[in-house]
Amino acid sequence: MTKVALIDKSSNLISTVKGPTGPEHRQLANEVMRQALEKVSLQIDDISCIVATGYGRVNVPFADRQITELSCHARGVSSIFPNVRTAIDIGGQDAKCMKIDNGRLISFVMNDKCAAGTGRFLEVTAATLGVKLEDMGDISLKATKRIQISNLCTIFAQQEVVALLSRGERLEDIVAGLHNALASRIAALAQRLGIEPDLVLTGGGAKNTGMVRAVKESLGRELLVPEEPLLTGALGAAILAGETYMKAVAASGAFSAKPRRLEKATFFGREHR
Amino acid sequence: MSDKKRGLSKAREIYLNRSQRARELKAAGKRIMGYPCAYVPLEMITALDLVPYRTCGDMKEPVTEADRALPSSFCPIMRTCLDCALKGKNDFLDGMVTIHSCDPQEKTARVWESYTDYPYFHFIDMPVTVRPEALEYFEGQLNDFKKTLEAFSGKKLSTGTLEAAIESHNRQRTLVRELYELTKPSPPLVSGTEIVQVVKALMSLPVAEGNELLADIMSEVQSRTDGPERKAARLLTWGSTLDNTDIMQVFEAKANVVMDESCGGIRAYRAEVRRSPDPIEGLADYYLNEITCARSFRQAILGETRKRYARDLQSRFGYLKGIIKEWNINGAIMLLVRYCDPFAFEMPSLKDYFDGLGIPNTYIEYDYTAGALAPLRTRVEAFLETIS
Amino acid sequence: MAGEKEKRAINRLESMRPLRAKVNETYLKSIEAMQAGKPAVWGMLNFYYGDPVLKAMDIEVVYPENYGAIAAATGVAQQYLDRANADGFPTHLCGYSLTTLGYASRMMKELKGQIPPEAPLGGMPKPLFLMSSAAICDARYKWFQSLGRYMDAPVWTLEAPTPGVKEFFIEGYYDRMVDLGVKHLSNFVTFVEDMVGRKMDWDKLDKTANLMIEINRVWHEVNELRKVKPCPMHSRDFWSAMPAALFLAGDLEDSLGLYQDMYKEVKGRVDSGTGAIPEEKYRLVFAELPPWHSLSFFDKLAERGWNFVIESFGYRPPIPIDLSKVSDPLERITRFNLQFFAGYYEDARKQNVLGGAFAYPYLKYAREWKCDGALLHPLISCRSASTHLPYVSNMLMEKLKVPSLSIEGDIVDLRLFNPQDALARAEPFEETMEHYRKMRKQEGLDW
Repeated sequence: MTKVALIDKSSNLISTVKGPTGPEHRQLANEVMRQALEKVSLQIDDISCIVATGYGRVNVPFADRQITELSCHARGVSSIFPNVRTAIDIGGQDAKCMKIDNGRLISFVMNDKCAAGTGRFLEVTAATLGVKLEDMGDISLKATKRIQISNLCTIFAQQEVVALLSRGERLEDIVAGLHNALASRIAALAQRLGIEPDLVLTGGGAKNTGMVRAVKESLGRELLVPEEPLLTGALGAAILAGETYMKAVAASGAFSAKPRRLEKATFFGREHR
Repeated sequence: MSDKKRGLSKAREIYLNRSQRARELKAAGKRIMGYPCAYVPLEMITALDLVPYRTCGDMKEPVTEADRALPSSFCPIMRTCLDCALKGKNDFLDGMVTIHSCDPQEKTARVWESYTDYPYFHFIDMPVTVRPEALEYFEGQLNDFKKTLEAFSGKKLSTGTLEAAIESHNRQRTLVRELYELTKPSPPLVSGTEIVQVVKALMSLPVAEGNELLADIMSEVQSRTDGPERKAARLLTWGSTLDNTDIMQVFEAKANVVMDESCGGIRAYRAEVRRSPDPIEGLADYYLNEITCARSFRQAILGETRKRYARDLQSRFGYLKGIIKEWNINGAIMLLVRYCDPFAFEMPSLKDYFDGLGIPNTYIEYDYTAGALAPLRTRVEAFLETIS
Repeated sequence: MAGEKEKRAINRLESMRPLRAKVNETYLKSIEAMQAGKPAVWGMLNFYYGDPVLKAMDIEVVYPENYGAIAAATGVAQQYLDRANADGFPTHLCGYSLTTLGYASRMMKELKGQIPPEAPLGGMPKPLFLMSSAAICDARYKWFQSLGRYMDAPVWTLEAPTPGVKEFFIEGYYDRMVDLGVKHLSNFVTFVEDMVGRKMDWDKLDKTANLMIEINRVWHEVNELRKVKPCPMHSRDFWSAMPAALFLAGDLEDSLGLYQDMYKEVKGRVDSGTGAIPEEKYRLVFAELPPWHSLSFFDKLAERGWNFVIESFGYRPPIPIDLSKVSDPLERITRFNLQFFAGYYEDARKQNVLGGAFAYPYLKYAREWKCDGALLHPLISCRSASTHLPYVSNMLMEKLKVPSLSIEGDIVDLRLFNPQDALARAEPFEETMEHYRKMRKQEGLDW
């Protein structure tokens, strides 16, 4: 997804947009920015400082700075949960664990391998089961039996799921098993970093109530979850933008922003996911 | 080779078209000897008037031919190396000298020999420890290598020519160390990216030409005004090989890489072959003892009967302490190639050592393909954000 | 391995059972030794080189490589793998190494030196020292070196020269290998003497070396008997019976007797034309490491008429060599150790098979044991047991028109081996094997 967060100088969120993602990063960035500004009747020149983050951060021409999503999530999560020391972000394409101290990223691990430790794992298996991704979490909470998904690889897990269904296993139990499999991969990642409370779960995976339960169980720990897990990265980027601006002003009286020009979005209504 | 380019721009040109000089020399009647690893004693090749040429892979070239003979869960660097060879990119070679440094080198050597048809092929075995009997065995291996190389070249390897070759290669080592002295200032006078190009160029030229190139580069760099920009982070990179500027650029977008402890950096140049009545003995000692590749099994005391972890770490990695201090390094990145066992086992101990020194460090694993660059960038930048 | 029910599909040898029991004995003895305050050592497969030294000095050895397979089969490996990963060891590393590192972390860091209660077969006691080996792969000696993070046990890495096929025949080359081997082994003896505070009993070493050589000679002969049709002994019996010969597990005099019993039993089957399976339709060679946790898979194949007649070069006894004129036991041991690989080099050179020490033997096996096909089992985290397999597959097809079937797995991540999938591929492969039987006839090959 492509997201924008606009904050005021007290770091309150005044406008947010969650748009689709896809290969055309510049267009998408332009489009979500345009929408966010429209919501609060602002022009792009009204923004003091813009930070871009995420995989496509190098393709945001109007950004003043690029900061990795790890630092941004760390900052965003800390603004919501000031005592956070460990954060886990389960995204669609990757998973990250971050160690945080006073809002700063101090160390991290990211999944190196493949889809199996990311949101993609549930997306693919949901499709195989004919279930909507957004329903997976609730379905998993209705499980009554523990099923161990033995296949690590997303591709093979798909086959396994079909076999389980034809064996007569309940959908709820299978879906819970899938959540547990993903959670155990996330837990293994987190263990490399060492977990200190408070522990926060964010990203798309955190919107999934089943994932929250599964990760909690896998790690045997309490989890905090933000209300808007999809926005913590953008929120953190915005806060860091504010800090960048304030620092520059304190040092030299002004902050020189990049040329602000939003290109006209040349297509409308095209779905990218 | 165009005379117009000199110094760093010549190195860049060679980096982009590595085999050109070797092909020219071959057309002029010289014979070219390929080698895939820094442990191969180049002095012996040079001494017999053959031209050593390091065979490398290509990160951007999808591996296809190597699949016939090597599984995909295998060192990606050797896989692409073999792949390029099977695709005929090294067809100008008159022979290959391979060596038992690590498993992938050994296994690829066998396949390489089976599936290609060079006039000359020799495999040098190498012991794993640095014990006296192991060193003696390795000397014996070098003497066996000498026999087959002499037979191939039609010449005898005299002590005189070997000593001269050693001196020439030592001179190259000295010059590279001098080049690295120029990364000490802040900002460094030469970038990690430029050094990758220089080292790759050195591995593509006869040693004397490489030395000339280095001499040019030294005077150019010492008086330049267009050096790298100063960045807050001064990094040490550590790994098996870092021979690609795309990778180095990922680090140098937001940092200065002032020391590269890899085979694309200082590893083959840090020490010198010492003088010895029998030069083969001096070579065996240098290559077995002085190349700091994780493949060797080293101990604080040979055959120690008490093992203390801290002392073990100091004996294996202590040489990095001085480097970190002298080059004012404030961050270390351990770069692991997927499926590389020696470096993967070495890394946690090195991490313990860095932690003991208080140097911020991280390890990043990548698979040596073009697709690895973007994830590498995120991880490098995130690390830099934690130390800024 | 232990406690499996025998299926009727494979006619198991009676003489296999006492040999199979030797492995469990080894663990129990090492625990006993530890409890009695005697030294125990962690070792690894070293091809008859370091083992006789330890045997002669009555030192109990456990093999974490072996223990890794047991931990996997009993389901406790995962927690050790997770621990090793959490401690910073990358996930692609050898599953046995990660299991051991995780185990060591748990035992030493968490339990302050006490054996973990969940560890099967009584676990592995904290060793006096670690006997590592350069043979086979880098991972093994780097892994034992890494154990230094958790325990102060010193490591001795046994050298293992690995010549190229052509280079081996350079004048003096082999003698220099022997020279290294003898000097190195002598230094190892000195090291062990220092560690245990006792001197080597050279008479005992002499006897131990002789027993080791003789045991393996008999074991070699047993396997030669498997060349006949139908094959009287299945691979499962090989794998069950091998530890006493390969690792010198248990009492050597006793073992020699048991292998002699096995020879008699197998010879008896040869004389009466009894096969290891009821109806031998296909003769298979297996490479390299078997799926220890799923050996019943072979029973299913046996029901289809698949007889596994030879296997696993890495575990086989060396081709017998006359060492009777070598008076120094260290030299005898060295030459026997080198023979494990070197025994094949002459043939490999004649056949121009250069693909590494692990590859050529399969050409000999397929030809002499008259195999219709090869079952190859690449293991995702054990590269040294897998990298030669594509080469072997090509070599067998090019030179002998013998086809191969490749089925993946792992040494500790047992989820990666799917027996159902594997069995589904058996039927089409049978067609392939029959096709190539015809091709071989056309080429004038006689099986």
